[in-house]
Amino acid sequence: MSAEDLAAIVPAEMGRADRVARRRNARTALAFMVPALVLVLGFLLMPVVMNVWFSFTKWKRFQGFNEWAGIDNYEKLVGSVNFAAAFQNTVIWVVASLILPVVLGLSLALLLRNMRFEETAKTIFFLPRILAPTAVGVIWYYVYAPDGILNNTLSLFGLPDDVGWLYQDNTITYAIIVTFVWQMVGLPMVLLLLGLAALPKDPIEAAKMDGATPFQVFTNITLPLLSPTILIVVILSVLAGFTAFDHIWVMGTSFPGKKSLSLTVYMYYEGFSNNAWGFASAIAVVLGLIVLAITWVQAIVQDRVDRMLK
Amino acid sequence: MKLDIVKRGTALITLSAMAAGFVASAASAEVVLTHDKSPWQAGFEALGATAGFTASAYPTDQYIAFVQSSIAAGTTPAIFTWWTGSALADVVSSGAVASVDDVWDAAIASGDLPAGVRGLFSVDGTAYAVPINVARWVVLYNKQMFADNGIAEPASWADLEAAAATLKAAGITPFEASVQDGWRGFIWFQEFMIRTNPDAYNKLHTGELAYDSPEVHAAFDMWVDWASKGYFTDPRTTTEAADFAGGSAAMYLMGEWVIGSLGESGMDIGANLGAFIMPNADPALPSQVIVEGGPLLLSASADDAAKAAYAFFVTQEGGQAWADALGLFNGNPKVPAPNGIIDEITADMTAGNTIALQRWWEAVPAAIQGDMVAELSAFVLNPTAEQADMTIANLDAINKEYWAEQ
Amino acid sequence: MTVQVPFDLSQLDFAAIAQKERARNRTSPWIVVLSVLLALLWVAPFYYLMVSIFKSPEEYAGSSPFALPEGITPVWANIVDAWTTANMAQGFANSALYGVVGASVAVFIAALAAHGLARFQFNGKTFWFMLIFAGTVFPFQMYLIPLFFTYQQMGIINTKFGMILFYTAVCIPFPVLVLRNYMSQISTEMDEAARMDGCSEFRLFLNIVLPNCWSPMAALFLLQFTWIWNDLLFSTVLSQSTDVRSIMSALQVFQGGYASTSPVVVLTASLIASLPTVVLFLALRKTFLRGISISAG
Repeated sequence: MSAEDLAAIVPAEMGRADRVARRRNARTALAFMVPALVLVLGFLLMPVVMNVWFSFTKWKRFQGFNEWAGIDNYEKLVGSVNFAAAFQNTVIWVVASLILPVVLGLSLALLLRNMRFEETAKTIFFLPRILAPTAVGVIWYYVYAPDGILNNTLSLFGLPDDVGWLYQDNTITYAIIVTFVWQMVGLPMVLLLLGLAALPKDPIEAAKMDGATPFQVFTNITLPLLSPTILIVVILSVLAGFTAFDHIWVMGTSFPGKKSLSLTVYMYYEGFSNNAWGFASAIAVVLGLIVLAITWVQAIVQDRVDRMLK
Repeated sequence: MKLDIVKRGTALITLSAMAAGFVASAASAEVVLTHDKSPWQAGFEALGATAGFTASAYPTDQYIAFVQSSIAAGTTPAIFTWWTGSALADVVSSGAVASVDDVWDAAIASGDLPAGVRGLFSVDGTAYAVPINVARWVVLYNKQMFADNGIAEPASWADLEAAAATLKAAGITPFEASVQDGWRGFIWFQEFMIRTNPDAYNKLHTGELAYDSPEVHAAFDMWVDWASKGYFTDPRTTTEAADFAGGSAAMYLMGEWVIGSLGESGMDIGANLGAFIMPNADPALPSQVIVEGGPLLLSASADDAAKAAYAFFVTQEGGQAWADALGLFNGNPKVPAPNGIIDEITADMTAGNTIALQRWWEAVPAAIQGDMVAELSAFVLNPTAEQADMTIANLDAINKEYWAEQ
Repeated sequence: MTVQVPFDLSQLDFAAIAQKERARNRTSPWIVVLSVLLALLWVAPFYYLMVSIFKSPEEYAGSSPFALPEGITPVWANIVDAWTTANMAQGFANSALYGVVGASVAVFIAALAAHGLARFQFNGKTFWFMLIFAGTVFPFQMYLIPLFFTYQQMGIINTKFGMILFYTAVCIPFPVLVLRNYMSQISTEMDEAARMDGCSEFRLFLNIVLPNCWSPMAALFLLQFTWIWNDLLFSTVLSQSTDVRSIMSALQVFQGGYASTSPVVVLTASLIASLPTVVLFLALRKTFLRGISISAG
């Protein structure tokens, strides 16, 4: 018999007993949670609060955050050319990670699922995922070098072979995104393969009986049924793309405009290299707000998808 | 039961606090020298074994942040490396750095430091640092390549341009230059400025002269001209010193400290490497050269052990150990120079009454150093006239904004 | 962010996927060709990595990056060079310490909290859960500056202790989520019986609940260990000296400063730094899977 059932039988008496039990339970449960709460509050949540506070202060050299600055740091953000450039690059990252991993992952999943050597193929595409992002950045830094394997390959086809991929404004962000996708695509691929494998066979068979083309089956049946998995894949890769740092940090090392390659790098640069701490804190707050917005959009979409499938 | 856990939790936290205290106290028990010159770590360790300190290397990126916040937290590193010029004035203004006039007085009296360089390590007449590295920025050259093409050490700007043209015609790139590690962009800017107008060069750093001025444009014009003639190597290398050692170019404008690396990369320093002070483009100018001083600072709250370790650096024994370990010269006249080139340049400077100028890196205000050098690097990667105009405009904007706030 | 971790490496049950996919059609040739081309693209950087580490710096500088090495002996010199220049032995030891201690303590503390959240009925449960879970919501950039200054003030910056504290804290919230879901599915009948016998709450957790959770806990440990091992950001901010920094920030020695190292040495170093997690993954793939299939579903 559950507590609710008992309460229904003897409301007055058992209600009080239940409340007492709940209070005692709360104390015991909280005791179990103390270490986790202390560490999470102290090392994760308190820094977030402090960061918001720092963003309204001015760092006085060698003294600390002791001067209230109001919204000065945010005003400076709005007018900053570097912030605008970093923001623009971050938008490119978000758009790319919204599209590329899911499209490529789905293509690979569809391509590989019915073929021989499927295991080997999947392992190949998943392999980069196991390496550390720092190591991947280093490897690709040399892949893109002026005399690296990319330019060498291009020269085989008679294409321009002296591009400084990681030295030019118009190529560097896309080059790093390619590396990022190269490393990350294994996960969307595997998730989507699982999603495909779990699809109910009946509607697809029925549609085929009705003479639908494979393309029609795919767009009208497979895709909608797969949408929960697609949603997870998209959210995961957008958040990963938005907060990407290691790849950019390592691969951007020779690029004079490194600081503006993304908001994450810009924040790090303004803080730890330029020592504009209040300003850097304001950039971090902007990052936080955008992540919250993405999470919020995800919750809404999730809700829609769930309802649609019901 | 639940008390059990509360107790355990409390014990855990107490333990953590104790451990933190232990770690903090353990760290302050010995003298630590803090620096951002990782390749010199072995040399620092070698000296520390004698002088009684341990050395801790930090990446340059975060080094300034680390020292700044240490000072803010009241835990200034006992002994630490820094930069001369505006960066020195900046850190001295915090009041956390000790005056080392006494060290200088003693060292000058004993002949361990030349009085002439004291000013480089002083702010408003008070010395706050001693040198661990004094490096002149000279043109290192490949003797074999010069000999093969019948070139002698250039004595004038015309000689230099002729040498570059001869080398280029022979299929040899005249000058090694790159944007490796992000800080090298200023090197040729600084050189073109001092060879044409050192007075303007100095005024740039005090805000008296705008970057968007005829003097700066003139320097960039020469730079663009040389670049268009193919006088510089591909700037997109990550192994500049090794490239030069391997024969990628005939000349290499760099601080003397790079000589050790050239040797490590397989160049025969004794037989194949020569050096000269770059001649001026304006013949009316006196002989001049960029001098980089690597300063070592002492915390205002340093204890006697730290002071003793610090003073060791200016002794003959210390200078000798330093030269032996890294081939670096700290300016001590009693210590024989670690290689012949340093002697040669010292002799040239004496003969030519050469004036020492401050590096752009130290002279430019510390707060805009990073942004400015990034602009210069962007030009090195794309040395065209259009880019020059853009670079000058950007430099000017950053500089103006900084001085407007002062 | 830890949000991406739940699915990481999790679904690698290639065998199971294969079984579900047994009903295959015949593959058309152009699909094979396309797949092979794509696979080649994916493998090319690995090929480049593997041929490069067997070249001496001079050989690398003088040959095409695709060329096969002339011999295999230079690899030893490269390993020695990488190992000593970046002080990798120290980095390995540090990262192993942070990974093992940080991840195991975090998973244990998370299990404690999950037990409190999953196995007691009390008011405000959601609030406490959300409080812990909020630790996964914010981007890491919001932690950096306050942590850097607080660590400085407390004198634990650049200490192994400080590093372990942070890594432990950051690895708690996600395991709490997973273990809470897992534990709430274990029957509470045993608990009641044990309580009747006068068993203390902590003993009950240790002897009854915990033994049922080893499998997800082991998987979570591996995930968090990998995360700590691969972390660059916090290691660079909270540790700088050779004695304390992790293996990933040791790799940064090759970039910047006055250093000038041959690509072959840098490539060798990044391969060495990746080996432990790769080996761990290959050896313990089953463990990764066993526990995580619960959390990802």
